[in-house]
Amino acid sequence: MSRNNSLFSRTWQLFCSLKLAIVLASLITLLAIYGSLVIHGHPALFGNLDQLSLRSWARQLPTGTLIMTWWLSAAGLLLILFSLNTLCCFIDWALHVRARWRKSGEYLIHLGVILLAVAFAWGSWAGVRSDRQRVYLHEKVPVPGMPGHELIVDAVEPVMNQQGRPLDMLNQVRLVKGDQLLAAEQVRINHPLSYQDLVVVPVSFGQEAQGYECFMPGLGQLQLIRGARIELDNGKILRVQGFYADATRIANGEVVQQSSQLQNPALLLDLSGPGIPAWRGWYFLREQLPFQLVANGIRFWPVTPIFNTYTVLTINYDPGADLALAGGSLLLIGTLLTLASFYRKRRANDRPEV
Amino acid sequence: MLQYQTPLLVASFALYLVAFLGYLMRRPEPGMVLLWPRVCLSLGFLSHSVCLVIRWLEAGYLPVTNLFSTQFFFSWCLVLVFLYFEYRYRIGSSGLFVVAVNLLLLGVALPRDPAIPVLIPNLDTPLFTLHIVFSFLGYALFTMAFSLGVLYLARQLGMQRLLELRQLRKLNEEAIFLGFCMFTLCMIAGCIWAYIAWGYYFSWNIKSLWSLIVWLFYAGMCHAKFIRRWQGTGYALLSIAGFAVVLFTYLGIGLLLESNHPLD
Ligand code: HEM
Repeated sequence: MSRNNSLFSRTWQLFCSLKLAIVLASLITLLAIYGSLVIHGHPALFGNLDQLSLRSWARQLPTGTLIMTWWLSAAGLLLILFSLNTLCCFIDWALHVRARWRKSGEYLIHLGVILLAVAFAWGSWAGVRSDRQRVYLHEKVPVPGMPGHELIVDAVEPVMNQQGRPLDMLNQVRLVKGDQLLAAEQVRINHPLSYQDLVVVPVSFGQEAQGYECFMPGLGQLQLIRGARIELDNGKILRVQGFYADATRIANGEVVQQSSQLQNPALLLDLSGPGIPAWRGWYFLREQLPFQLVANGIRFWPVTPIFNTYTVLTINYDPGADLALAGGSLLLIGTLLTLASFYRKRRANDRPEV
Repeated sequence: MLQYQTPLLVASFALYLVAFLGYLMRRPEPGMVLLWPRVCLSLGFLSHSVCLVIRWLEAGYLPVTNLFSTQFFFSWCLVLVFLYFEYRYRIGSSGLFVVAVNLLLLGVALPRDPAIPVLIPNLDTPLFTLHIVFSFLGYALFTMAFSLGVLYLARQLGMQRLLELRQLRKLNEEAIFLGFCMFTLCMIAGCIWAYIAWGYYFSWNIKSLWSLIVWLFYAGMCHAKFIRRWQGTGYALLSIAGFAVVLFTYLGIGLLLESNHPLD
């Protein structure tokens, strides 16, 4: 029993020791210096560290990269030990708080650091990040990490400077759960939507061609976008099955999308009706109408592209964020208190000497 | 009002230079006040501060958003720190290195265009201002700690007309502690700002990592002073090493590597 006790007390003393704190802090600093250089030297491997939670990032690492990433696990382990060290120090102070209350500032700093370390570990483990996600107007986007929650962007308004360069974007964003509105915010630079553990920040915005307005004699202007259905005479039906803003035909005859720029638009059409063989094929808008359409008396001309506005948002769910804020607040209060009491303590020569 | 900024800055530079030469040539006995360099430095600081206020009022925000403004502001912080130690402890020529760095910064900034840049929305938040103000105050205090650390070693090697070793050690510890507190406030503002701007409070970007390294290093130093073996020479050496880390974080990364905190 007493052996156990002495082992416990020796471990306790070790973990309360200032020397251990300095050794650990030095090792972490050295590892971080080494790691920062490795990160800088291998952007392909570490470039997306901010885009994913640490756990998701570690999971998508290719095999055989341990030689470049071992230091992260080592630093993590040392950080755990360091946090334990800080925690023991804090508990030790709390146990003697009647005699040591004058050091409240210092120990609020220590508690703040512990909370920050736990919050970071929690967020790295259970957080989900969706970086630079393209969101179209009125589209319902499931929120990562929060099942049943959806984001809807109702409006996007770019803010330009006098030279026409984009400065900001005003996104009218709603967070809903089923029919219930949970939050609504104008999301712009430095003004995110934040709700519980979720934060939504704007990254960019743009427009993407989603089809073409065409003129057809007899029917007038038609909106040919994916899903459009046009009833023609004699029961014939023309359907738009797809649209590529920049299409090309590859060697095997298949049509593929090259880019999202409006370079070589093409509509995938589907014609059916009584007494005619069903046809499905691509209409490249820069070329002639396909023969099958013309042969069935169908003629139309592209007039103007139809654009869909989208915004690019970063949607991050971090269950440790509130704890991190609490840790940061303690750190702030502790720092101010320690600053305020520094000179009085120095005058009284009130400091531990190890 | 902006037309006054260049004459005010030139006046500050001239007054700082006179003060620097004064401290350099007439090193008094420790504890004695050398009046006219102190007056020159104070007047220079006054003119520097008026210039800062004019720029602030004209811009509608604290202009610390381009290379000129950051050099201008850092040099202001350095003089502020020097004057604090001078008025409180009469450090005189013991803080000369800080005045020299200030002269260098202002000398490099003066030929640059002082025009105030338009504030882009990304930087339009008080968190940015707090982040910058506290980081430069921290850097200025670490510069002072470096200067005191070097002097501690010089004093040990027998250099005369410097403060007592005990006094140098005490002041060095104070500079490190105050610098650490300022840097902590800088990190807190930076983390909150990163969260609302990017959606995460810690970035693996090289500049952020090195800021964490600076913070950890000085946190370690705040404790090392309690360990007898590290007091004095060890602490002076650590102050010098810490300053090298600060220099790399402030200058090295901006100049040598690519980061999201470019120098201009
Ligand atoms: C990143 C983590 C830490 C930070 C930021 C931190 C910060 C501080 C600060 C600012 C002070 C005040 C220094 C002064 O008064 O000049 C302090 C004091 C102290 N810290 Fe820490 N600390 C950390 C970790 C630790 C750990 C792991 C221990 C464990 C032994 C520890 C033990 C102490 C002790 C014993 C004091 C002296 C308190 C007193 O004056 O009685 N600290 N710390």
